[in-house]
Amino acid sequence: MKVRDLSKHYQMGEVIVKALKDATFEINEGEFVVILGPSGSGKSTLLNILGGMDKPTKGQIYMREEEITKYDDKQLTKYRRDKIGFVFQFYNLMANLTAIENVELATEICKNPLNIDEVLENVGLGNRKNHFPSQMSGGEQQRVAIARAVAKNPLLLLCDEPTGALDYKTGISILSLLSKINKDYKKTVMVITHNAPIAKMADRVLKMRSGEIIDDYMNEKPIDPEGIEW
Amino acid sequence: MNKLNLRLMRLIKSSKGQFLAIMAVIIVGLLVYTALNMAVVNLKNTVDYYYDLTNFADLYVQVVKIPAKSIKDLESKQSIVKAQGRIVYDVPLKVEDEDEKVNVRVISVPDSSENINSLYIVDGEAISNKAKDALVIEQFAKARNIKVGETIIPQIGGKQYELTVRGIVASPEFVYLMEDEQSLLPQPDKFGVIYVSDEFARQSFGLNDGHNEVLINLKSEKDIDKAKERLEEELDKFGVKRIITKEEQLSNRMISEEINQLKNSSNTVPLIFLGVAAIILAVMISRMVRNDRTSIGVLKALGYNNIQILFHYIKYSLFIGIMGSIIGTFTGMILSGYMTKMYIRFFNIPMLQVNFYYKYMFLAVLISSIFCILAGLWGGRGVLKILPAESMRPETPKVGKRILLERINIIWQRITFSWKMVIRNIFRSKKRFIFIILGIALTFSMTFLTMHQWDAFATIFNTHYGEFQRMDYNINFSKPLNDNVVKDIQHLVEAEEIEAKVEYPFEIIYGWKSEVVNIIGVKSKTKFYGFINQEGTEIELPKEGIVFSENLAKFLGVKKGDRVKIKSFIPEREDVYMEVKDIIKQSLGMNAYMDIDYMTDKLLDNELATGVYLNSKDDVKEKLGNVKNISSVQSLDDLKSIFQQFLQLSIFSIGILVIFSGVLGFAIVYNATTMSINERRLEFSSLRVMGFSKKEIYRIITKENTIMTVLGILIGMPIGRIMIRSVEEVFSNELYTLHTPISLKSYIWASALTIIFVALAQLSTLRKINKLDFMEALKSRIS
Ligand SMILES: Nc1ncnc2c1ncn2[C@@H]1O[C@H](COP(=O)(O)OP(=O)(O)OP(=O)(O)O)[C@@H](O)[C@H]1O
Ligand SMILES: [Mg+2]
Repeated sequence: MKVRDLSKHYQMGEVIVKALKDATFEINEGEFVVILGPSGSGKSTLLNILGGMDKPTKGQIYMREEEITKYDDKQLTKYRRDKIGFVFQFYNLMANLTAIENVELATEICKNPLNIDEVLENVGLGNRKNHFPSQMSGGEQQRVAIARAVAKNPLLLLCDEPTGALDYKTGISILSLLSKINKDYKKTVMVITHNAPIAKMADRVLKMRSGEIIDDYMNEKPIDPEGIEW
Repeated sequence: MNKLNLRLMRLIKSSKGQFLAIMAVIIVGLLVYTALNMAVVNLKNTVDYYYDLTNFADLYVQVVKIPAKSIKDLESKQSIVKAQGRIVYDVPLKVEDEDEKVNVRVISVPDSSENINSLYIVDGEAISNKAKDALVIEQFAKARNIKVGETIIPQIGGKQYELTVRGIVASPEFVYLMEDEQSLLPQPDKFGVIYVSDEFARQSFGLNDGHNEVLINLKSEKDIDKAKERLEEELDKFGVKRIITKEEQLSNRMISEEINQLKNSSNTVPLIFLGVAAIILAVMISRMVRNDRTSIGVLKALGYNNIQILFHYIKYSLFIGIMGSIIGTFTGMILSGYMTKMYIRFFNIPMLQVNFYYKYMFLAVLISSIFCILAGLWGGRGVLKILPAESMRPETPKVGKRILLERINIIWQRITFSWKMVIRNIFRSKKRFIFIILGIALTFSMTFLTMHQWDAFATIFNTHYGEFQRMDYNINFSKPLNDNVVKDIQHLVEAEEIEAKVEYPFEIIYGWKSEVVNIIGVKSKTKFYGFINQEGTEIELPKEGIVFSENLAKFLGVKKGDRVKIKSFIPEREDVYMEVKDIIKQSLGMNAYMDIDYMTDKLLDNELATGVYLNSKDDVKEKLGNVKNISSVQSLDDLKSIFQQFLQLSIFSIGILVIFSGVLGFAIVYNATTMSINERRLEFSSLRVMGFSKKEIYRIITKENTIMTVLGILIGMPIGRIMIRSVEEVFSNELYTLHTPISLKSYIWASALTIIFVALAQLSTLRKINKLDFMEALKSRIS
């Protein structure tokens, strides 16, 4: 995946907020990428554009030689449907659907989903699949959200601060899960965080500040999430 | 099942109350739609079928006397298929109670079986003994409990004839049994019809081989007007009094009128209900979309497109629409059968043509679906505007603006904290409050309209009998008599006031419009009428010229000062032109009035009275009951009691209308309050955390609702008045002029009922506050 001169400007009355400034980088398939940066640095903006949820002001994104940034709304919807799995900070499950139904909600509309039971088993929720979100803890809900994103069998799994609302231990377990998915299913995973230590588990780290990518490096030896402390 | 649909089903389950409330509105709307539309068609078909079967006459020619041969001659001519002579006279009937005046119309029937207006035998058999047998019309037989085999005694030309009741019959001509245009309601125990053989009638009325009425069937109804004109000329030599077309025929006119009114309501009422349901749905769905902002964002992020998501919400309203319309239309269909039967019993039609017209069921579902889809589209249009990236960000809280009232310190400082909250709330969520207020306003105006209608009938009646007509008794002679009769009557009863009157039907023509009405001649300074003109001043009858009742003037398009042509039914009389001197208010019936001397001079041949008006404390009925030459003694009290009965009948329909308005009001207020509680869970939870009790929160809601109810009622008043005036416009006809002042009582009743409906709706939301788990509400911010 290649990103060239990607920019996003917001017009706020008189002022223009430059949330993203000429971001340029490349990601290889199967990499575990961590985007690091302080609040307001444009991480979410970048991720949303990569996920086809928002359009850039300028710049290009190429995914397997396809230029995503040329897509119209219809194509973007299809792109989100088939290529992207999204995990949100606040899980955002449908309150009146059970765990398994939440996953099915996503897989119903995509081309070649994975086996749902298997995925739920893999995220450790095999025995809770018929529970409603309100009957589950935050960590469990986030697992459902991950299962929902993974079961679509996307090329790219995008996670916007998946541990943001969770305690340390649960956060670690979620990161382990993501790492496991990265390895088992060979998915490209991008995780946003403002916790520097998490970067240690990444193959590649993108550091951001005020809308710019200020650093882009590969970890020689990514450590196991269990070994992270913050 | 599709997971999105599954979500929908659970959504519906969790908002059962609102769902059912809206569905009730739709059910009512389509129930009315189906029931009335089918009843209209069934009623029309039944009537047509009945007319067809009995050869209903196209024209009634009333003459002085026409020989049988001349009637036969008509038949070969042009569009006339059949002409049939008969004898028709109104005569008194001798009954047990000698004070009671009962009149019957004696009508002769020919021997042949292929008759015009042929009779339908309900009980017994046809006439066999031509000299002694009679048939009695069903309504009259029922009202007076006359059975086959009994004897009835009509007095013809002063002579009593004892006739045997051979059969009870129904006639297409008297489906609605009224003596004439002047009687406002049927009085089946006071006026009836008996059928006798042609022979008997000719002998007893002394007409030899003649008849005094000819019934005519035409090839096609299109020829009616032409045939009428031609017959008027051709039969002039037999003294044509009046030619009545099928359309003008009293009973037929009453039925058509009823069918038309039914038809009017069959489309307007459902439209109101569907419109309200659609508005509630649209508001509800737009709220839902707003609350589901994040979920919609997630769906979009997952790759659902706008149409799929929009359709998800449209399905919600469509589901309500289809369910409601199916239930409504099925119950409506069942009801239409009963309604048709009820009408047919009321109208005395001895047959029934009830069919189910699936067209209306189909249309009901279709119309309801269209309304609901539109409501869904309108309410759900917000889906399109939600951007997935943005919806994930928490909504920026609304800037807490100060409301105007807060700036007026003097007032603001005196308001208690909870009132401050209430007032702020109202101003902050204006749209919601406007919606609720309009809902209450609509409920109020519907109830108000119903209450007024109820009141209006009584008022019309009281103004007509009492303020307009001021006589205790209205006495009609069986034949015109000279002035001496007034003195004779004064000898018989102690009269406080007595005046002679003349009353005859004339055809009044203005431009191309004409109408047959009774012109009444009384003293110009009569004590028995309160003539009030359109400017509201009481007037005396002018010494010359004629005065019209308001709706006669309206019907003919006549203004004060116009000249009209008056055509007499007395054969050989020239038409008279006369100036309309004034137009007076009359709420029941249509008449013209003249000074009695001017009237006899201009329009009549002699100075004979047709009756007297009388005020007396005496027992007039008993004393004048069997006086020769008096055909009827009608007292104001009689009329009042008839009207009371009529009112009792309408209590039923008024009740149904009030229930309907209640359904509307309940649905609106219940839904709005529920929506508001759902949206404000966070707010209420914060209050609970701050230490407010459930009671205090409930009190805040009650205060809000009180303000809205008061505002709703205030706004509902002008809306209701507009509704009342337009209903009056639509439903005023030749018989009623509905233009009555709105009484305070209507305001009070409608307000009280509206408050009850609102209170009921609020009570059912009480539970929701009780169940409000504030910890969960605060937590659920997250998911
Ligand atoms: N819809 C918008 N309109 C205006 N400005 C926006 C909008 N979305 C984001 N911004 C601005 O763009 C900048 C980057 O926002 P972004 O959400 O990408 O930051 P972030 O790195 O994800 O921060 P955080 O860690 O707090 O989530 C911020 O200054 C933000 O205010
Ligand atoms: Mg962010």
